[in-house]
This record gives sequence, structure tokens and C-alpha cells, in this order.
Amino acid sequence: MQNNDDIVWSIINKSFCSFKVNTKTQKFCRHEYNLTGLCGRYSCPLANSQYATIREEKGIIYLYMRTAERTAFPNKSWEKVKLSRNFEKALQQINENLLYWPNYLKQKCKQRMLKITQYLIRMRKLTLRRQKKLVPLQRKIERRENRREEKALIAARIDTAIEKQLVERLKKGVYGDIYNFPQVAFTKALASEEVQEESDDEREEEYNEGGREEEMEEETRAALEDATEYVEAESDDEDMESDEEHEFTDEGPEESEVEDIEDMARPSTSKGKKSKVSVEYELEEALPEKTKVKNRV
Amino acid sequence: MASALARPLITVYSEKNEKTGTSLHLPVVFKAPIRPDVVSFVHHQMSKNRRQPYAVNKDAGHQTSAESWGTGRAVARIPRVRGGGTHRSGQGAFGNMCRGGRMFAPTKTWRRWHRRINVNQRRFALVSSIAASGVPALVMSKGHMVHDIPELPLVVSDKVQSFNKTKQAVIFLRRIKAWTDVQKVYRSRRLRAGKGKMRNRRRVQRRGPLIIYGEDQGLKLAFRNIPGVDVCSVKKLSLLKLAPGGHVGRFIIWTESAFRALDAIYGTWSSPSSEKKDYNLPTPKMTNTDLSRLLKAEEIRKVLRTPHKRPVRAVRKQNPLRNVRAMLKLNPYAAVLKRKAILTIQKKHLDKQEFLAKKTGVPLQKTKQQVRYEQLIQKRKEAIQKSKAAKPKTAKKAKKAPAAK
Repeated sequence: MQNNDDIVWSIINKSFCSFKVNTKTQKFCRHEYNLTGLCGRYSCPLANSQYATIREEKGIIYLYMRTAERTAFPNKSWEKVKLSRNFEKALQQINENLLYWPNYLKQKCKQRMLKITQYLIRMRKLTLRRQKKLVPLQRKIERRENRREEKALIAARIDTAIEKQLVERLKKGVYGDIYNFPQVAFTKALASEEVQEESDDEREEEYNEGGREEEMEEETRAALEDATEYVEAESDDEDMESDEEHEFTDEGPEESEVEDIEDMARPSTSKGKKSKVSVEYELEEALPEKTKVKNRV
Repeated sequence: MASALARPLITVYSEKNEKTGTSLHLPVVFKAPIRPDVVSFVHHQMSKNRRQPYAVNKDAGHQTSAESWGTGRAVARIPRVRGGGTHRSGQGAFGNMCRGGRMFAPTKTWRRWHRRINVNQRRFALVSSIAASGVPALVMSKGHMVHDIPELPLVVSDKVQSFNKTKQAVIFLRRIKAWTDVQKVYRSRRLRAGKGKMRNRRRVQRRGPLIIYGEDQGLKLAFRNIPGVDVCSVKKLSLLKLAPGGHVGRFIIWTESAFRALDAIYGTWSSPSSEKKDYNLPTPKMTNTDLSRLLKAEEIRKVLRTPHKRPVRAVRKQNPLRNVRAMLKLNPYAAVLKRKAILTIQKKHLDKQEFLAKKTGVPLQKTKQQVRYEQLIQKRKEAIQKSKAAKPKTAKKAKKAPAAK
């Protein structure tokens, strides 16, 4: 049982050691108490019952020693000596504690202590500088999250939500009389709204309104293109101010009746210049006249 | 220096990790030679003994009446399936290269699956692995987390044998500081790499501590659900548990009764085993294996002869063509030749001077070399004549070197 070191080394070296890491050029030892970090006959903490290391914990350097007698008690095998913060005193402490120990261990302990003090100094200097922390990104995760963002964006259907919101506001009357809507579009929308309300009482209002609003939107869009053409100038109306928009002159009486009705139906939305848009039926008739007017302009 | 065969005392620990008063002598098994090669070989052989045979169907690939079409049909000569009306007709059959053919060397059930190992070898391996489990370095190198346990080999009181709840077992392992090893097992749980996954060997994990008991009073039930922990009776120790993977150094927790029984089971060198018929522990080739210490020991050095230490110094080669002494070492006659050459040159030079002197009518100065040379020759002649005259008188008495010319 005594002095197994050689046997242990022959076993560890030739077959398996869980701390050994083999590279193409070197053998490393991952044992925490290894003095040099390399795997070798005299630096292996397992193969040398009399061993010493220097280790650092939270900035304090300790000398660890182990003797052959204590190897059987893994609990108590390492004796820990705190080294002075003064480098020279620490060297003396090492000499003192490792008196009569093999030179190799003494030498390596001192070298290791030097290295450790150097890196501690460096650490202290670094902390005084900028504390930028490098955070590695994981490509897979980033890609995944981006894609999910995109999908969420699409799923949210922001456009439709905005649409709804705006139309609701419009309905409520938040915008007052800012917007000009072509007559056609608006009446159509209203009509469809009424129809739908009558027919589908069971369905939710939102759904209906949505449909209607869409229709309205479409119509407004379509009508807007024709809007400018169909604006009449009515000498009967007192409110008419802009003569530039007048294109029709002959449609006065018939339209005015219709317009009155339309005025009642419409809550507040009207063009700023209060030019009235003719009803479809009439428009069709008016077509040829329109062209005449166009030519004139 | 205590002999290697000294038997230290091992304290027994209670199940709460306190030292009980008892201490036992280390059984001699722990002094047996550790032979990783024997262990590896025996383990390798033993692991084959649990195998189940596998083979392909003996008819596979032969359930056709295929016949080769022979030559002359512009097809390969492989036997082809008879008949017609199906895809299969005319296809190659029987060969290992054919689709639907029998494999090369179909596996047979009568393959030699099991291996027999000599009893003594088996015991040797077992004893070696027990010895290795007592060396902390080997247990650590195998990867067990034993840095906090109180002692190695770890002997615990017999109370452990009467545990019947896993909870008790876990608490015990925690107290003894063996739990880190079990935690390592937990962390090492993973899926097997390779096809074993679909062959009912899906999960792999590390091995934890082995508990060896003398008498099972519920211990097996308590410890069996803890991953990595194995349980074994002293009477039925198995190499597959003591040296898993063929590597020595498993972490073993002994109960007191088990530890006591070891001496009886394996014997000591002085007394053979009482349980095993005719068995005694293997004697090691070297009782003291500390080679470095041996080489420095006085007892050995005294007996050795002194070493022949002749320092071989590197000699610088001198070129004999440039260095006279080096030449003389090799060829002593060279001195004569050289001297002769020098003298002839000198003579020629002086003759020339004389000749010139005669020719020009200028007499040579007295200090001139030629004059001196002639004087020298004269002197020599006289000296020779003198010695010749003296020679017959002293010839009988002693040798006298004649005056050199």
C-alpha cells in the first residue's frame, strides 16, 4: 500500500486517467491541484503522494501541501497555508513550508505563484477600465426569434386593426367635418349598413360594420376618382362658392330635391365646399352633357 | 521505513459519518499486486458471457430454385430465378451481391459466444481490482468524486445493511459525502450515440459507488433506485462490478461485516483462504515497488560495483597538413623529411650566395651566412674526427653517439 506512486503512474499513464486531456502535441491534466497543468510523472497529483500546489481563491493565494501519510484520507489530505500578499514574503513562506521538499516542487510552486500574482494584477487593472461585457449571440436563437417576430407582425394584422379604429373614430365623429367623402360612396355605405342591420340581427355588430366599412371604403375609393367630375355648381344653393368646380348647370331642380333628402340622411359629412354629388341614376343621363362641359374646360 | 506489507488500521464510520470506536486491520487483499493487464483481459472475456446469440435465418436467400443461365446469353453467370410472369423472374439469386440473396457467411447461432477463464486468473483479477479500490489515486483517476470522503477504503457500520428506505440510503450517502459521485451520475445521463438507441440500449450513464455488504437486511431495496449505485454481497463479488469497463479503481463502500470477511475469503499470504478451496493470494513480483527509492537505497548501492565513469571529452581535430605536431603524431618520419627539406633550401641559398660572390668578385662578409656555414661545417668535421679518434677506446665500455652531422 505504501509508495504506490510508481504503480499508479504506470496505470494512469498507460491506460485511463479521467483528468488527462490529449492533444496532438501535448498531454494536459485537468486536475484542480495540478501544479503545471500538464500531465507528467512529477506533476501528476495522483502519482505523487508528496505534492504541493499554489491555488488562488477570490484573489487570495494559498499553498496546498499533501504528504504520503494523508493520502488515505481524502478529506484531510490537503493542508492549506495562506500566503502573504507581499511577493517576497510569500516566496519566503514557500521556502519555509517546503523546506527539504524536492526542488522541482519548490521551483514550480514559485513560478505558479508568480503567474497568479501577475494575472491578479492584470485583473485589477482591467476592472478599472471600461467594463464592456461581450455577450455571444446564438445564431440559431436569433434566427428563430426574428422569424417569429415577422410571423407575429403578420398575425397581428395591424392594417385591419388601424382601419377599424379609424372608421370607428370617423363614425363617432372625432374628426368632425375634416373629410370629404364622395356622395355616392357614402350613401351606398349607409344603405348597405341599414340593409345589413335589418337582415342580420343575430350577427355581431362588429362584423357587419366591418363589411359595411369595407364596402364604403371601396366605394369611396372608386367614387373619389369620379368625384371631381360629378361636382355640380348650383346657382340655387347659397352656400356654393367655388365656381371652378361647377361643371353641370342643367341639373338644378331635380337634383336639388334629391340633394335635400340626402342632406337629411347624411349626418355631417359633406364636402367642405358643399358641392353636391349627383345620384347614380342621374349621373348616367348626365354623361353626354358632362363631356360637353369637359370640352369647354 | 515501514515495510510495504505493514497493515494500517482502518476506522469504521457510523452511518452518520462519525468515527465509531472500532478500527480494523486492512485485509491483506488490499496488498495484492495490481495488474491492470490481467484485469482488462479477464474483464474482456467475462463480458462476453452474458451475450445472447444472434443469427440470420438459415434459409434466408435460398428459398428460390434459381439456376444459372450459363454462357451465351449475354448476361452474367449468376444463378437466376426461374419462370416468368413476375418481376422476380430472371433476377439474380443466391449470391451475397444479389438483391434478395443470402449474405456472405450467414451468421450462425453456434458461434462461440462464451469464454471460459481460468479460475485462478479470475480470482487474480478480482483481487487486483479490490486492491486498486483501496488506492485513492486510482479511484480518483477513474473519475469518482471522492475528494470529500473521510477515508479510503471506506468502511461503514453494519447499520447500513438494515436500511429499507431509499430516503435513508440517500441521507447516508449525503452524510458520507458520496453523494457528489451520485450527482455525477445524474449529470452524465444521456442518450447513447449510435444504433444502440433502437436496440433497447437507449440511455447511458456513469457508474457510481459500489456498496458491498455482508448480509442483506433490506439494503438492496434501499439502494437499488439510486442511479449509478450498485450493491453486491462479499460472497459473490464480480469483476464486472469491481472493475467496470475493464479499468481498475471503482469507489467501494464496505460494510463492517463485509470488510471483516475479506481476510477469510481471500486469505492472507501466511494462511490460505478458508472459503475458497486451495486458494491463496497472488504473490507480487516486487514487494517494494518504489523504484526511485530503491535505486537510491544504501543496501543496494553497497552491493553494486563502482560505475565506470570516464568522461569522454570532445577532441578538436587538428589538421596534420597545417599543424606540425598533429602530423608528427601520425607520421614521425615527417620531421626528418621536413628538416631535410629545410636544410636543402638553406644550402642552396648559401651556395647561390657563394657563387654570386665569386662571380662578382665581392668577397663574402664574415657575418654572412655562407661564411658561418662553412665554419660550422669545419667545426663539425673536426668534431667527428675527434669522436672517431675517441671511439675505439670507449667502444667496449659504452655506446657513444657519434657527433651528428
